[in-house]
Amino acid sequence: MPKQVRVTLFMVLVLSLALTALAPVSAQGKILRVGMGAAGTTVEFDVALATDTTSHTFINMLFPGLAPRDETTGLPQHGMAESWTISEDSRTYTFSLKQGVPWVTYDAAADAVVEVTDEAGAVRYVTAQDFVYGALRTMDPATAAEYGYLPAEWTEGGEAFNSGEGSAEDVKIKALDDYTLEITSPEPAGFLLQVYGEWLFAAQPRWTIEENGDSWTLPGNYHSYGTFVLKEYEPGSRVEIVKNPFWTGTESHPVPALDVIEARFLDASASLAAFEAGELDTIEDIPLADLPRLKVERPDELYIGSRDCTYYYGFNVTKAPVDNVHMRRALSLAIDRQTLVDAILQGGQQPAGFFSRPNFAASATQEEYPDLGTRSDPELAKQELELYFQDTGNTLATIPPITLVHNTSEAHAIVAQAVQQMWKQNLGIEVGIANQEWQTYLDGLTVDPPQVWRLGWCADYSDPHNFLGDVFKSTSGNNHTMWGNEEFDALIDQAKVMADFEARKPLYACAEHILTWEDAAIAPIYFYTKLSMIGKHLDSSPSIIGIERYDKWDIKS
Amino acid sequence: MTAETSEHVTQPLPGTVQLGKEIERSRGPWVDAGRRLIRHRAAIVGLVVIIAFILIAIFAPRLTSYTYEEQNYLAVNTAPKWVIDVFPKMKATGEEMGYVRVNNDYLLGTDALGRDLWTRIIFGARISLAVAFIGPLTSLLVGTVFGMVSGYVGGRVDNFMMRFVDIMYAFPTLLLIILMMAFFRASFTQSEVGTLAYRLNKIDAAFGGMLFIFIGVGITSWMDTARLARGQVLSLREKEFVEAARSIGVRDTAIIFRHVLPNIMGPVIVRESLAIPRYISLEAFLSFIGLGVNPPTPSWGSMISEGSQAIKSYPNQAIFPALALFLMMFAFNFLGDGLRDALDPRASEANK
Repeated sequence: MPKQVRVTLFMVLVLSLALTALAPVSAQGKILRVGMGAAGTTVEFDVALATDTTSHTFINMLFPGLAPRDETTGLPQHGMAESWTISEDSRTYTFSLKQGVPWVTYDAAADAVVEVTDEAGAVRYVTAQDFVYGALRTMDPATAAEYGYLPAEWTEGGEAFNSGEGSAEDVKIKALDDYTLEITSPEPAGFLLQVYGEWLFAAQPRWTIEENGDSWTLPGNYHSYGTFVLKEYEPGSRVEIVKNPFWTGTESHPVPALDVIEARFLDASASLAAFEAGELDTIEDIPLADLPRLKVERPDELYIGSRDCTYYYGFNVTKAPVDNVHMRRALSLAIDRQTLVDAILQGGQQPAGFFSRPNFAASATQEEYPDLGTRSDPELAKQELELYFQDTGNTLATIPPITLVHNTSEAHAIVAQAVQQMWKQNLGIEVGIANQEWQTYLDGLTVDPPQVWRLGWCADYSDPHNFLGDVFKSTSGNNHTMWGNEEFDALIDQAKVMADFEARKPLYACAEHILTWEDAAIAPIYFYTKLSMIGKHLDSSPSIIGIERYDKWDIKS
Repeated sequence: MTAETSEHVTQPLPGTVQLGKEIERSRGPWVDAGRRLIRHRAAIVGLVVIIAFILIAIFAPRLTSYTYEEQNYLAVNTAPKWVIDVFPKMKATGEEMGYVRVNNDYLLGTDALGRDLWTRIIFGARISLAVAFIGPLTSLLVGTVFGMVSGYVGGRVDNFMMRFVDIMYAFPTLLLIILMMAFFRASFTQSEVGTLAYRLNKIDAAFGGMLFIFIGVGITSWMDTARLARGQVLSLREKEFVEAARSIGVRDTAIIFRHVLPNIMGPVIVRESLAIPRYISLEAFLSFIGLGVNPPTPSWGSMISEGSQAIKSYPNQAIFPALALFLMMFAFNFLGDGLRDALDPRASEANK
């Protein structure tokens, strides 16, 4: 073969390769490629069962609530509810819904998003009945949703239904007509609109859930109505959602500019490598070690912002030796939080002495309550350890072995090893570290929590009740400490119904004192910051509430 | 007559003469093997490297002024000047786009928790070497005995024992070991004080998590050796010297260990020394995926895993432990090769 022919053939080959690589972009329109979570992360697409921020990222786009919070301000906007009225006693909310929103699904055979039709062939529109069904399903004890307690708590008759004593008919969430929804709360609260506005009160598709049971979330059975539609889900590796052409837009969920959002689940370092190679447009997680380099090399793509989440270690208060409050206090006091955030995390995080975020209207702040909660004090930690020895008769050598368990992640492993070393140095206690893949880890926390475990909590609505009440009340499904305190519960119940936000502060401060110091059921560690890489070519609106709204992003042309 | 007598003395009964020659010649092969090994240059290089590693592992505490778990929060992710010069991507603070903090107190730099890399590498050698010896040891003990008994006794027992080996083989080794590690860790970490599980867990903790690795490696490594030993015994069983021993009433155990064992040691040792790199890499792999040693015990596998997360910013954190692993694997491979040539010349001839 003459050389020139070979060169030409080679050029043709290269060109065709380049074209095939480019082709999907032009055919599918604007694609946003997102690096999320750790490799192996699974997404729960069931609105009632989802509990983690990754799942909620998708659910908030696929199932817009009545009045979802703006992700940059945390304030409720008009979503599926075009307007609402509040009764004089502040307990009854009447929502009038957006009309003509069809249920849609992705039809793989046609490679298109199609409207869902009923048996007669008529398009199914989202109605008030779908919202009633959704809230009741989440509360239904048969669904066994971890979040079931939340809608139940704020709907009259809900708690009885959720605990299996009442019936669904007695729950005061009613469809007055197809597009008017009325919810009555047992008590007034300043943040009720935020509770009703979010995914827990979103519509759910009764027909496909009843027909397909648990498998209703599989592509094909999965019906939604929001800005995007689920196209493909490969558990542990990627999710692809495509634009819903039938969505006409609301204040909270404008018509998206993007056509496809592709999320890939990668470990932080792999994610960053893909971002730097231009294979991803934005990534949610950055390896701790790369932060100094990114600060100098890619300052205009590195995003450090606020994020309403708290990182904490929880104790299982039924397991020795952390069944003893002095041991728990000692462990909590021996963590040098300032060093941890300054020297190791280096991402602008704040050391946390208590659990709820200080930036909400009714929250206790560090300025007003400088000594609130736990702190880092090795000397006091040693005294508490002495008290533990006196209580139990144990010595350093006879302390039952402690295991600290975290979900698999590079950053959690580093924090765990630093804490392990601090405990060894300050107290002489050697703990073991184990890690588990996310879903296994969550299952373990629900069934049989380890002695010490880590979690973060991100605000579902901007109020301390979401932290203290929704996580650590003795009845909460999110409380994995096995700890319950009547005084704490009473304080929470008293504070949540008060209209005066200033007056609520001292009550929450008292509750924090019980949770993080008196009973020391958890050791709060730090208040998150959001660290992500956002490509220069993106129009972005980074979230402060812990859950991104990629459907509002755009790619600059 | 005198001549006749002397002749009679030097050559008494035919049987005695043969026995005497047998003793002399039995020293011969090992000396020959030693000589062949010394002539094998790569093997000697390997041996020297291994001895160096052993010395480093033994005297690790004297070779450093830090401990492997000591965290210096003022020196997180630092590197000395020479490391920054070696890796062109790393730029020291002060330079344009510089981000690496320079700290010449640490020979190879520090990791994400401010721990000295050099200290962790030399202590990590202990783990790798321990696995390099414990692996073959369990494999030799269990596998050889199992295989020899199976081959020597024969018949139904042989059949039963070998089917057991087949069953063990049917499990994918890696999967089995991962499952076992997960099982050990899950079931022993939260146990009641005083139970066996509790004690095992205590021992494991004292060894920095190595016990379960040893058990895992031991359980999955002996089958090859058992098959090899059995095959060798089958061919030796019918040899005259075994027949002879049996005919003068030597007990079966004595025959197995005194007459058969020395004759199969060569191939078995060759196989085990060639398998050592596999045990080392198995441990490194387990530690890499987080099922190996318990933090903060350093293992090259876990160090590479931790370092790989920062590979773009601080390549030294992954490359130095990887280099150590690479060196040790090479050394054991070379030595194994040399041992094969020395102890099993026929096999190496056939390979050529």
